[in-house]
This record gives sequence, C-alpha cells and structure tokens, in this order.
Amino acid sequence: MNVVVCVKQIPDPAVPGTLDPQTHTLVREGKLIMDDSDAYGVEMGLQLAEAAGGGEVTLVSMAPAGETSGLRTALAMGAAKAILVSDDALKGSDALSTAKVLAKAIERAQPDLVIAATESTDGYTGTTPVQVAELLGFPSVTFAKKVSVGDGRVHVERQTEAGYDEVDCPLPALVTVTAGVVEPRYPSFKGIMAAKSKPVDQLTVADLGLDAGQVGAAGARSEVTDVTAADERKAGEIVVDEGEGHQNIVAFLEQLKLV
Amino acid sequence: MHFAFDEDQLEFRAQLRALAEKQCTPADIREAWASPLGWSRPRWAALAEMGVVGITVSEEFGGMGLGLVDAVLLLEEAGRAGLPEPLVETIALGVPVLADAPGQQGSVLRSRWLSAVADGGVRIAVGMSSMPAVPGAEGAELLLLERDGELHAVPAAAVALTPRPALDGSRRLAQVDWEPSPSTLVVSGFEAEEVLAALGDRAAMGVGAVLVGVADRLVAMAAQYAKDRSQFGKPIGSFQAVKHHLADALVRVEFARPMVYRAALSLSEGDRDASLHASMAKAMASDAATLAARTALQVHGAIGYTWEHDLHLWMKRAWALAAAWGDAATHRARVLEILLAKRP
Repeated sequence: MNVVVCVKQIPDPAVPGTLDPQTHTLVREGKLIMDDSDAYGVEMGLQLAEAAGGGEVTLVSMAPAGETSGLRTALAMGAAKAILVSDDALKGSDALSTAKVLAKAIERAQPDLVIAATESTDGYTGTTPVQVAELLGFPSVTFAKKVSVGDGRVHVERQTEAGYDEVDCPLPALVTVTAGVVEPRYPSFKGIMAAKSKPVDQLTVADLGLDAGQVGAAGARSEVTDVTAADERKAGEIVVDEGEGHQNIVAFLEQLKLV
Repeated sequence: MHFAFDEDQLEFRAQLRALAEKQCTPADIREAWASPLGWSRPRWAALAEMGVVGITVSEEFGGMGLGLVDAVLLLEEAGRAGLPEPLVETIALGVPVLADAPGQQGSVLRSRWLSAVADGGVRIAVGMSSMPAVPGAEGAELLLLERDGELHAVPAAAVALTPRPALDGSRRLAQVDWEPSPSTLVVSGFEAEEVLAALGDRAAMGVGAVLVGVADRLVAMAAQYAKDRSQFGKPIGSFQAVKHHLADALVRVEFARPMVYRAALSLSEGDRDASLHASMAKAMASDAATLAARTALQVHGAIGYTWEHDLHLWMKRAWALAAAWGDAATHRARVLEILLAKRP
C-alpha cells in the first residue's frame, strides 16, 4: 500500500514568529522544521504501510527555497522518498492554492491513502487537507484518533466532542489525524544517516502542469487584511470563600459546560 | 584548525534531547531512583534503538561505528538531561576496551558481547582495584575489572555483589567479589598498563562530558529560579550578589566544555598529549560542576535543600561524578606531572 503523508515545514515554534508588515503573512526565513503535528501522520503512515505488508510512504511538501530540513526528519523516521514543490510563484498562497499544488503533487505518487495533520501549527486554518481531498476526488475523513486499513477500505475512529464516530470508507481516501493517533518514533541515528541519500523530487509549479496565475498570491481567494494583537490574558477572579465558595466553582464549571 | 561538530553529530544530540524531554523528566528520574536498579530498562532499550548505546560499537557488530567525538555530545546531553542510565561505562569505557582487546581472547569477547551491547541487551561496568565500590555493577552483564595490573572481563554470573551506599540515586555502587582466572584475562603486563591508562583517560573525558552537561543544567535551573523568585519587589536575579555568582559558574562551565571536546578529539586521534588533555578536561569539568552545584544551591535558598525540589537530582550527580575517576586535585597534579616530564 502506498501512503502519501503531507508534511509542512514551518519556522521553529520555539522561536517567536514575525509577520510581514505589508502582507500580514508569516515570515518564513532560515531553517524550517517539520511541523510537530505531522510527526503523527508520518508514524501512522509508516505503521499502516508496514501492517499492509508492503508499499512505502512518500512525503509531499510545499516550502520556499527548496527547504528540506523538515523532510529529512520525516525521511529519518522511515519514509522512503519525498516530493517537494518549491517555486517563487507560490509566495502568498492561501489554503486553497496550497491545496491545488499539493493535490497535483500527490497525484504523482498514486497513493492508496493520503494522511495529513488536522491543522498546521503555524497556520491553523485546518482547511487544506479537505480541499486536497476534494481536488483529488477522494473521500476525506477528519479528526482520526485511530486508523486501520483492510480489504481496500480504511476504518477510522473519528474524534467528536462527545466521543467518536466509526467511519468506514473505500480507498483511495484522505484521512487527517489528531495528535495522539499514534506515538511518533524518534529518528534513529542510522535513519538520520540514511535519510541523506533518500530521493527528494524537487518540482516547480510548471512541472506540476499548473499555471502561475492559479497559485500563490495570484490565485489566492483569501487574503489577510488586518492583524491585531490578541487580548492580554485577564487576571483571574478571586472569590473569598464565606462558606459558599463551592457554588462559585460549580457555576464556573457549568458556564464552561464541564458539569 | 577548524573544530566544530558536523550536522549529523548535532542532529544526533537533538534527537537524544527530544527523547529525554519526553522520557526523562524529573519525575522519571525520581522513579528510577526508587527502582531496584536505579535506571530503567525500557529507556535503555529506547536509547539502544536510537543508536546512542551502540555509537562506538563498530558497524560489523550492528553499531554506528563512530568515535569519541561523536559520543562526547551525547554524554554531555545525558548529563544535562539527568539520564539515570550508565552510558559512560558502556559507550566510552567498555566498548573501546573490547574493540582493542588483543589476541584470540579479544575476538572471542567481541563476538560474544559487542552485538548484544548495540542491541541494548548488555551493559558494561568497569572497576579498578583502587575503587572501594564499582558503579553500575548491578544491572551490568559484563564487568571489566582490574587487579594487580591485569584487566579481566568477568560475566555478571561470576561475581558476588554487596550493595554500598551511594549519593546519586541512579549511580548505584556495589562491592564486587570475584576471582581472576586465565579465562577472564583480557590483557596483562606492559600491554595492560597502556590499556588501563587509556581507559582512565577515556573515563576522565567521558565523565567530564557528563559533568559539563550536569553543570549546564544546574546553572540553567538556578538562572530560571533567579528570574521567577522575587524579593524586595524584584526578581532576585536582578541583584548583583546573585547574578554575578551565576555568571561566575557559567564562565567555569564554558571554559570546561571546549577542554572536554578537545580531550575527546585527542583521544580519538591518538594525540600524544591525550592524557594531558583528558586530565585538564576532568579537572575543569569537576570544578565547574562543583561550583555550579554550590551556586545553584545558594541561589535556590532553603527550597534547594529539600527532597521535593528537583535540584538535588543533578547536584548529587555533580558531587558523585566530580569525585569519580580522580577528582579535580588529582587531575591537576597529573597535569603538573605530565608538564614537568615534558621539560627538556
């Protein structure tokens, strides 16, 4: 079974990010790392390919300046190869234009299953994976907390607010996984060494047969018009307990719909 | 001369750090202290799977086939993380002894033990007759033991252990009773002198690397506490009496670190000053860790003395390792001795 895992390479979240004052988009310079939430997808893909008794995991990523640092991490975990789309024309992409590019790149790998994270750590739109599925004509199952494959179908336990839904759908399909679907392995030292010689296919927009006008800022249907700072965290409320403190706690929990 | 770690070496360290952040929290260290062995078999298995344990084992036996320069960053990271597992003895002491063991006995030892080390099934403890107790003897499958200038490789089944009190809860000590025999002999005579000298140098460097990591962590913990803890309406770190102490400790750590790296390079290249560099490294690392521990304790105040605060997990390791394989004074004396011997 061939699995494609979408891997986003993002600026290190440990370093405070900056926004471009003109475009309000995230400045993505220097070394990028694999989005931590994609480690779960990579691990899931590796486990499913292994359980299926064959096939391989191909990574698909779109990043500026031919950046591969984050892909190397996923290759070190055990993925077989990667497809990287890197092109100046992709600057200013929104979720949909990203999805167009990813879908074209994924098609090349002819996957049985596509795995993505629920949302990225730097963008948080959470819309790209389902757009990719739509463009590929694949069914999509989101928020998977457990995934298994058998008899040409994928079986997913899909996290909901109240519990989980059991969803069964035919392959090929796209599944987005939550953190915690599996515990990602650490790349072994041998994996790190081996990753350096694994193939990374670097493609441009033209290679994918897309027109530069369809992608990047030119093809974006959404733009960030303004950015404001988040509200400062407010000081907590202090309740003096005069024998009725517990009622305040219960009322507070009720307000959060926790009781 | 350009001396910097390459991308792989830095990436190995980053992966070890990532593993330790998840699997070696202060709570995990406490759990290890309370366990019979003082360290955890599942974590050792994880370290072996990553390649840390087999870093110096040759590829022929399933290891990484790398050297002490590759190992030094990992040992430093082990100190920083407070990893309870006895890595120095296996990686930096035991494996190189087996790798270089001469004759028929050498190849027998290598094929019997090295793959098992790389797989994570075997730990090696090392004891000199001058040591009243051997660290990590319990839980070791193979013990390399010196007596009367001979080095012997003794399987765990052939020794009797009597636990001895230890300061560091994960670096357990035991008195080892054993009988040398021709079947355990690895090397003797003049050859043994060289092997034991090299072993001591690697121990000084390896323990020095762990100490630098420990010291680094202690300074970091104390600096964080100095930012968090307020007195007279300000964080205590803003007072010179506190911050200058921390700066002094940090300077000592920063001076010791390159010396440890240098020793690792000299040892792996067989530099003729390797012993000098190893002793300089251990002296400086021991001093740095001792000062870092004292400063961290002072900065933390009374809370630092409590069992519940995590500080002592690193502080006790600093004290234990500063005294292991020759304390700072011993190694300074050795530096003097080597320098005097070099005089024309």
